[in-house]
Amino acid sequence: MRFPDLLIMSINNLLRRKLRTFLTVLGVTIGTASIVVMISIGVGLKTFTMEQYASSGSLTAIQIYNYGNYSETNDKTNPEDSFMTDDTMKVFEAIPHVTSAYPKLNMNVIMRQGVYEGNVQLYGIPLEAMQSIKLGQGSLPTAETSDMELVVGNMVAQNFYNAKTGKGYWDSGKMPEVDFLGKPVFTIFDTNAYYQSQAPSGEEGQAVAAPKKYMLRTAGMVEGGPEDWNEYSYGVYVDLEKLKTQLKQVFKKNPIPGQPTNKKGKPYSYFVYTEATVNVDDMDHVIEVQKTINNMGYQANSQMEWLEQSQQQSNMVQAALGGIGAVSLFVAAIGIANTMMMSIYERTKEIGVLKVLGCAMGNIRSMFLLEAGFIGFVGGIIGVVLSLIVSLLINKFLAPMFLYGMEGRLSIIPLWLALPSVFFAVLIGMAAGFFPAMRAMKLSPLAAIRNE
Amino acid sequence: MKAEDGKKREPVIRVKNLYKIYRVGETKVKALNGVDFTMYRGEFCAIVGTSGSGKSTLLNMLAGLEKPTRGEIVIAGRHIETLTENQLVAFRREKIGFIFQSYNLLGTMNAVENVALPLSFQGMPRKKRLELAEKYLKLVGLEKVADHMPNQMSGGQQQRVGIARALVVHPQIIFADEPTGNLDSHTTMDVLKLMQKIVREQNQTLIMVTHDDHLATYADRIFHIIDGKIVKIEENGGFQAG
Repeated sequence: MRFPDLLIMSINNLLRRKLRTFLTVLGVTIGTASIVVMISIGVGLKTFTMEQYASSGSLTAIQIYNYGNYSETNDKTNPEDSFMTDDTMKVFEAIPHVTSAYPKLNMNVIMRQGVYEGNVQLYGIPLEAMQSIKLGQGSLPTAETSDMELVVGNMVAQNFYNAKTGKGYWDSGKMPEVDFLGKPVFTIFDTNAYYQSQAPSGEEGQAVAAPKKYMLRTAGMVEGGPEDWNEYSYGVYVDLEKLKTQLKQVFKKNPIPGQPTNKKGKPYSYFVYTEATVNVDDMDHVIEVQKTINNMGYQANSQMEWLEQSQQQSNMVQAALGGIGAVSLFVAAIGIANTMMMSIYERTKEIGVLKVLGCAMGNIRSMFLLEAGFIGFVGGIIGVVLSLIVSLLINKFLAPMFLYGMEGRLSIIPLWLALPSVFFAVLIGMAAGFFPAMRAMKLSPLAAIRNE
Repeated sequence: MKAEDGKKREPVIRVKNLYKIYRVGETKVKALNGVDFTMYRGEFCAIVGTSGSGKSTLLNMLAGLEKPTRGEIVIAGRHIETLTENQLVAFRREKIGFIFQSYNLLGTMNAVENVALPLSFQGMPRKKRLELAEKYLKLVGLEKVADHMPNQMSGGQQQRVGIARALVVHPQIIFADEPTGNLDSHTTMDVLKLMQKIVREQNQTLIMVTHDDHLATYADRIFHIIDGKIVKIEENGGFQAG
């Protein structure tokens, strides 16, 4: 028999018993929908945690900290070996899968504008690394501008306080009116000297001259309001090269705060970084690169190691949810088997006639398998459509409750879930129809002869 | 006369020493108790017997629906008692037409589709088989009800559809099991004459099982079966023919 003929016969048989077919299809629909919706919630949770991690730093970035043991200089090892310098960056970049390695030079400075004063973390990073900062206003500094320009985090203003009252954001709850883009900001690099000059002169009477203030232009503000946290929110970022030049100019031959000195207390001729970021080409290689860097003696951290743990948890949750859904599909499968068995009992005579007329045994089996598969197919399709609707409703009404007002979807149905679930429903239908179909195939043709 | 006919006619069915024994509890029931006969091409044979005489069992075995306990059945040169079920189905598909007492049309199909059904088992494309089916419906005089469903037709019409369905594959042998059992006497005559006429025209072998001696008189030869044995083969010169 040709396949279209088989299909038409099967479908006609299903249409003959509309109510029963409808009820069986309904069972499969509910089964499929419950599996898909359950798994979609698992996928949604997984994606949500992934987005949470991604928002607190790139998932392909590794943070390296090296607040080295500069002071514990023993004679056996040369402290210079453990320093993280520009040369170390080249070593990092040579590791397979690493796309770039950016050092970060960290300075604690004081900034002033009008009556407001604040302690600010100033970070010198390469211009390329600045590309990943999302700006709300202004633009990124370029290599062409000769002056050092600032990119200011959207929450930096919180660190300012009124120098006269000593009250700041954390005391009053009022955001200090610091306008980085509109008004000039003065930066004091030599904070020690500044505090000494502020302090009333001690008994030695050596009044320290106030250090020089530098007026720096703000090129851009990091995206987001004062409440929207991201990884760049609290820092002020400048071009690393310009910062190096500036620091050499400010401190001349004196040691720069935060930079190590040699045994004689003299600074080194190069900069030593306490932090660096290594970017990896793919999420899958992060852990591997991180291990390599750890083995080199640096302390490396990445979002991935946390993400992996929580991914494992998510997978378990997803499997559990899918299992609950699978139960109802299993019940639906029993429904299909039942419907098919009933149908075969009713059609014993008809099957006999088909056999007497010369319908091949395999064709009879295929006919019943197709009927069962078709129930699965229709149920699967409607089930997926239903679960898309349910997913929409969940995201609209339930998600805000569960995600505590955060942006995100609780239920996600990707294509890799929707399509195979239809296929799976067909498979379940056929599996459920297998034994009834075998039974139909083995029925005796004599049933056709008997007259009731 | 019989011997002369035997020489020029080609045998289609040869049955040798056929036994069928059913076990009912402890006792054995011999439904067929050593049956021998030969049927020829183009013949209209009637198997007549009372109920329980074994006539239906014989028909079932000739059509390959039941296996004999012992003996040989050779149809168109093939020993069908040795065939597997799959081979038997294929054998019926190619060589045999079957007319049922209760018509057994498929309720989901209209007349022409019912007639075309056995052709679909052979894998014939839909358009071609519907054309052929219409031709046979015309032959049984039902071209007007081609698109009627079985429940919209009278018993006589349904049985004529059944006849068209048996003929459409152009089988060598057509089996009819009490084909007029559910019909009134007037329709019975129509149907019998139709079967007789078509089989004559197409030189096919028709084997009809009936308990009605009068109906058997339409046949060329009448096989009387009592208690599983052929007791008499009656030559009937076809005086009722036509």
